[in-house]
Amino acid sequence: MSILNVFNSPTTFALATCVMADRRRINGPPGGTRPAIYATSLPSIKDADRARRQRQPSELRKIFLKTGLIPSASGSSYLEFEPSASLAAARANPKSLIPPSSALKLACTVHGPKPLPRSVAFSPNIVLTTHVKYAPFAARKRKGHIRDASERDLGVHLETALRGAIIAERWPKSGLDITITIIEAEDDRWWGDAPDSHDASWGMMNVLAGCINAASAAIADAHIDCLDLVSGGVAALVTDNDGGAPQLMLDTDPAEHRSIVSACVVGYMPARDEITALWLKGGTSKAALDEQDGRSGHEALVDGAVDAARGAHMVLGEAVKESMERALGQTT
Amino acid sequence: MAATIPSLAIPGQRLGPASAYSAGPGTHIQQSMIYASIAGPVVVDPAQPKTQLKSTIRVSRVPTSKPQTQTDSPAGAASTLPKPKPRYNTLPAVDSIVLARVTRVQKRQVAVSILVVLDESTTAQSIISPSSSSDNDNIASILTTAANPENHSNTDELRFQALIRKEDVRAVEKDRVVLDEMFRVGDIVRGSVISLGDQSFYYLTTARNDLGVVMARSEAGNMMFPVSWKEMRDPVTEVGEQRKVARPF
Repeated sequence: MSILNVFNSPTTFALATCVMADRRRINGPPGGTRPAIYATSLPSIKDADRARRQRQPSELRKIFLKTGLIPSASGSSYLEFEPSASLAAARANPKSLIPPSSALKLACTVHGPKPLPRSVAFSPNIVLTTHVKYAPFAARKRKGHIRDASERDLGVHLETALRGAIIAERWPKSGLDITITIIEAEDDRWWGDAPDSHDASWGMMNVLAGCINAASAAIADAHIDCLDLVSGGVAALVTDNDGGAPQLMLDTDPAEHRSIVSACVVGYMPARDEITALWLKGGTSKAALDEQDGRSGHEALVDGAVDAARGAHMVLGEAVKESMERALGQTT
Repeated sequence: MAATIPSLAIPGQRLGPASAYSAGPGTHIQQSMIYASIAGPVVVDPAQPKTQLKSTIRVSRVPTSKPQTQTDSPAGAASTLPKPKPRYNTLPAVDSIVLARVTRVQKRQVAVSILVVLDESTTAQSIISPSSSSDNDNIASILTTAANPENHSNTDELRFQALIRKEDVRAVEKDRVVLDEMFRVGDIVRGSVISLGDQSFYYLTTARNDLGVVMARSEAGNMMFPVSWKEMRDPVTEVGEQRKVARPF
């Protein structure tokens, strides 16, 4: 009997109307929320555990690159960056279940030259389309199945980097589809850090450099005419100690640095010393380099990225040669 | 000079000066130097001794380390052959011979989808010395061609489409052509490309003795053999069907 009384009381009636959302007001979230707790504020996560760069400033990570792994595509490649030393150390001596950094892994397929769809107008050149997609599990934050803005952005950047290098007029009336699946992405920061004011998606720049390298290997594997093997490279100005002068580092893993001031990725053709794509992020005006270094911040950045791209080109050339020798071995 | 030319090239690799060589397929010229534009073995085609022409550097698309072996067999004929036009890609071009499958027969035109673009050197050779090799011998060119269905999906949408217009079917009595008596859906046709056409179709012709239907099934579903230039016959039911037949040899 008492239960029935509760249900009929005016307060419960008021609660019931509250549940039905009033669309003219800004309603609070239906469930309870908790303030975000960043891992750095937890006593169990120590700043000493953060990943640190153990390479020289001009030392690149090793790259694994192999072509022709996807038989149904006319050209394909698989690229993997060497996991940073901190990851290997964490595996040998695990302190946390969360790996300190991630290493880029991606697969690239080239389909074509193939006929254009009927709706497309006649084109005397090859029509290049690029798709970049993160696997749902690629980053620490899950990605949806539909390409989001950053993935489309990467696709556009990749297209700019490649379009100038492909000799398009040799393939009339045909299309070339380049599809990249990112299996493991680079982090934007150390996972324990809270996103702060000058934080940006730094990992995307490493991903783009990897995309450029993988795509040129796959295009060479598909025997599409191009001027050169376009290679991608990343350089960044980083400050690892508070108040210190920023340092120029090549092939930065954002998880290994406390703060990145600015970063640059280039698509570069070493044979003719030309840049096909340039993407600079962050401020370089306040970045003071060494006294004897007369370059401005962004000049140093672009030079560094070109140096990194030159390094990647050596791997790229070897991978293309290797796939060519494999093809020759099959026929003879 | 020839010693400095690498045997294998990757895109962007310098091959030689444009003053001493002319650039063939698979290469491009930048600041009067020849660079490779695809990965593959480098081939230097020597110029004809009496002419003023330069030797041609090209990068072979077909992955054979000895590209000369196929022209070796009819040794006498190979040297007298006119040089085939250089091919810069594996797409169907004007005058290239293709194998295509009929997908639709209409009153005025037949739609086909291109299966294979045949290599020009082999085609020219098989016409002159027919006993030495058939089109099927050049496996490498078939496997590397872009129109090869093995390299793509099996759907017709992903192959290059072509049309054979009614007036391009045969050379004689063009106005009496009834397309139902020339092609059926599913036939394999050998045709020659006459135009790159519009945005969606290439144009083919079969108006030559060696062009036309090469493989066809009868209504009973048996593979037929040709009996004349306009008839094929089912070996089981002995029923003849009309086709524009390609000369089988």
